[in-house]
Amino acid sequence: MMTKTLESTTSATMVSASPPVMVLEGLTKKYGPFTALDGLTLSVAAGEILGLIGPNGAGKTTAIKILVGLIRPTSGTARIGDADCVTQAHRIKRLVGYMPDKFGSYDNMRVREYLDFFGAAFGIPTRLRLQRIEEVMEITGTAYMRDKFVESLSHGMQQRVGIARTLLHDPKVLILDEPANGLDPQARIEMRDLLIRLAKSGKTLMVTSHILPELSRVCDRVAIVTHGKLRAFGTVEEIGRMVSQQRTIEVQLLDGSQLDLAATILRNGVEAGAEVQTSPQESVVRCRTAHSEAALADLLAQLIKSGIRLSQFREMQTDLEEAFMTFARPGGQSSIAGQSPAGGQ
Amino acid sequence: MGNPILHRELMGVLRQRRTALLQCGVAVAFALLVALRWPTEARMALSGSRSLEVFRLFAYGLLAAILLLLPVFPATNIVRERNSGTLALLLNTPLGPWRIFWGKWLGIMALAGLILAASLPAAAACYSLGGVSLTGDLLAVYGLLLLCAGQYTALGLLVSTRATTTDAAVRWTYGLVLLLSVLTLVPHHFFLGSEGPLNTVVEWVRCASPFAALMALQGAADVGSQGLTSDIDIPSRFALVSLGLTVVFSWLTISRLNHTLFDRSRAAGKISNDQGAWVQLVRRLIFIVDPQRRSGAIPRFINPVMVKEFRCRKFGRLHWLLRLIAICAVLSLGMSILSVTQTIQWEVETIGGILVLLQVALLVLITPSLTAGLLTTELETGGWTLLRMTPLPIWRIVWGKLLSVTLTLILVLFATLPGYLVMVYIEPGQADQVQRVVICLLFTAVFGMLCSAAVGSLFQRTTTATAAAYTSLLLVCGAPLLIWLGRDAPFGHDTVERALTVNPIAAALTVIRLEGFRDYDLIPANWWFLGLASVLSVLLMLTRTWSISRPQ
Repeated sequence: MMTKTLESTTSATMVSASPPVMVLEGLTKKYGPFTALDGLTLSVAAGEILGLIGPNGAGKTTAIKILVGLIRPTSGTARIGDADCVTQAHRIKRLVGYMPDKFGSYDNMRVREYLDFFGAAFGIPTRLRLQRIEEVMEITGTAYMRDKFVESLSHGMQQRVGIARTLLHDPKVLILDEPANGLDPQARIEMRDLLIRLAKSGKTLMVTSHILPELSRVCDRVAIVTHGKLRAFGTVEEIGRMVSQQRTIEVQLLDGSQLDLAATILRNGVEAGAEVQTSPQESVVRCRTAHSEAALADLLAQLIKSGIRLSQFREMQTDLEEAFMTFARPGGQSSIAGQSPAGGQ
Repeated sequence: MGNPILHRELMGVLRQRRTALLQCGVAVAFALLVALRWPTEARMALSGSRSLEVFRLFAYGLLAAILLLLPVFPATNIVRERNSGTLALLLNTPLGPWRIFWGKWLGIMALAGLILAASLPAAAACYSLGGVSLTGDLLAVYGLLLLCAGQYTALGLLVSTRATTTDAAVRWTYGLVLLLSVLTLVPHHFFLGSEGPLNTVVEWVRCASPFAALMALQGAADVGSQGLTSDIDIPSRFALVSLGLTVVFSWLTISRLNHTLFDRSRAAGKISNDQGAWVQLVRRLIFIVDPQRRSGAIPRFINPVMVKEFRCRKFGRLHWLLRLIAICAVLSLGMSILSVTQTIQWEVETIGGILVLLQVALLVLITPSLTAGLLTTELETGGWTLLRMTPLPIWRIVWGKLLSVTLTLILVLFATLPGYLVMVYIEPGQADQVQRVVICLLFTAVFGMLCSAAVGSLFQRTTTATAAAYTSLLLVCGAPLLIWLGRDAPFGHDTVERALTVNPIAAALTVIRLEGFRDYDLIPANWWFLGLASVLSVLLMLTRTWSISRPQ
């Protein structure tokens, strides 16, 4: 599996022809004995959307905050363009549009005033600023809420205003912390379309999220981080293939009374200690195995020979959610722990 | 403890470290007060005069403690529960509004009881010294304090149902406490000796103040009444007013404890720019500054943080500022008219004293509410991270914030100056004094602003920051006046003068030569103190700002 990880990440880097815009090398952040980030190394090419995923407390926000200059790393380097995130934080402010997970609302301010303030804070000349505010409101679909009070906006509206704010100074890189968090399905679809439009317009995006199906549809590449370490890095397909070394086989039975028998045969047929689950409600048995196609054909034959009436014997597709769970679950961690995630380099 | 809310409220408060500190602080302060005046000689005055001196200070101190420490608890109670969502859960339980209110009110009263209980050993020591009656003095004072606590708890809870944020609730509650406890005394001094219904109203208004009731209990009801004595029973009237207000505040609070608390939309309203030219013209004529008109872009050479601060404040918008200035100007003109018409009856110094007191009260009321949350609000809302991500240097952010407060205070001060001009016109010899008073007021404003900003910046939450800023400013302005009340006995002239040196109100009053302050020479020592304290406050604020703005 280690070879596969290295292969996938290397190929992902090779796929993108443009030079990397964001580069993190051996980024480590320690708070006393607690290690929030442990030697994170990855890069993002221009115009790419990178999805940074991981469970709560994995170190995603720490990595982002180091990138935007809000936190100093204990060791390692981070670069955006040709600016060092630690020593040239003032340059980073112009290069990056950062949307934290907290909106940062001001009372009694209307949306246009809110954007005007941040435009003025970035020193955008008045006439250009007014023009730019109209543009970003158009891009983010917030023009209709220009006169609404910021604190009265729904969460989805605030997220969009937040993105409008990050776009004001026309940054090359957008770093969005949980932009789809708390959004309803329609707002999520709108957010997804917005991110794709931004990437098409030439922006480089780094996005964290817990909503994995959304990320898999949007991101060019995904980095999975748990316990501060990079576990996997590549396109969704590459990560899926990496996880698929352990394929999930689903057997659909016609008769639920044969579940136990089917489970026993599968348990004997796959590797010792492999996971075999039954679902009486669905009359389904699932197992995870690294067996070859031929071995699986033998297993199917054995099931039929035992008189088990089955309607399906199929391999389930590995999606991002499953890949994430593979890396996030305790067994998954140990199986790839100690591996050097040289992804992206 | 049958009421689960009472149980939770009391336990919640008692578990906090600040409650333990508060109780210890009260106990230590009063123990020190008694120890300070405990007889060291073998002889004792049979009249108990020394004990009464201590008891007088003790009673005023207790009242100040209740007024300063207690209101923050009811003020933040309901609004915090509403914002965190637990109030909705409470209203969905079979507990009705009555039981919810009762539990909360009793919980806070229990806390007041604990504060008062911490003072009991010191009270017992006063009693042991002799000269203090158990029923006439001790029980009467404690009864008054309990009434006061009940009234302000009900007031705080009522404000808490109306406010949308905890810091706004704290500001309004402390403002109303100041209004009910101190400003109710002012009409009495203005209309001394008047007769008929006006006198009746003024006397009842005066009786709403716990200070008037406490002064009456101490036998000092007519201090400052220029020889006029009244025979009304102020403590009884206070009890009536206090109980009446407690019932009214409680009823209003209970009537608001329902779904309407959550039913608050913030409509954008009709924007004037989208309406016809005639409508725009009419609105312009009515409002001068139309609140529904889209504001212009922030000019390039103006500090954007300053503009943002003005726009974020509910009363910081131009149309509200104009109204505020108009109110101040009307007040000042009213005082100018009184100065002209009452000069024969009053001395110019007395009028000057009232002007100074009103202005300082205005400054003390407004300044902490404007400055205490300058940094903490940003930290609390997440705005600080966004500000750090802009290219604005930290000093410009701080300067913009302070500038927004400075301009507001300057407007308020200028609006209240006409009264002094009339004074100088009537008595040109006062010009020098008025100049010095204005300098004192400027020092007070600067000190109030910087001290509140520095104290507020030390906290993580706006509510705590606001309460701490009010407390620190009221301590500087109020505590030395408690010592002044004990001038000559128990405190000597030098002790009082040293204590008053830190007090900006006393400095202004000595300059205006008000009766009771004429013997003290506080200038320029007070200016030096305020100047140094302001510089230290700036340094503290800058240090704090630097520490929260550097990468972690």
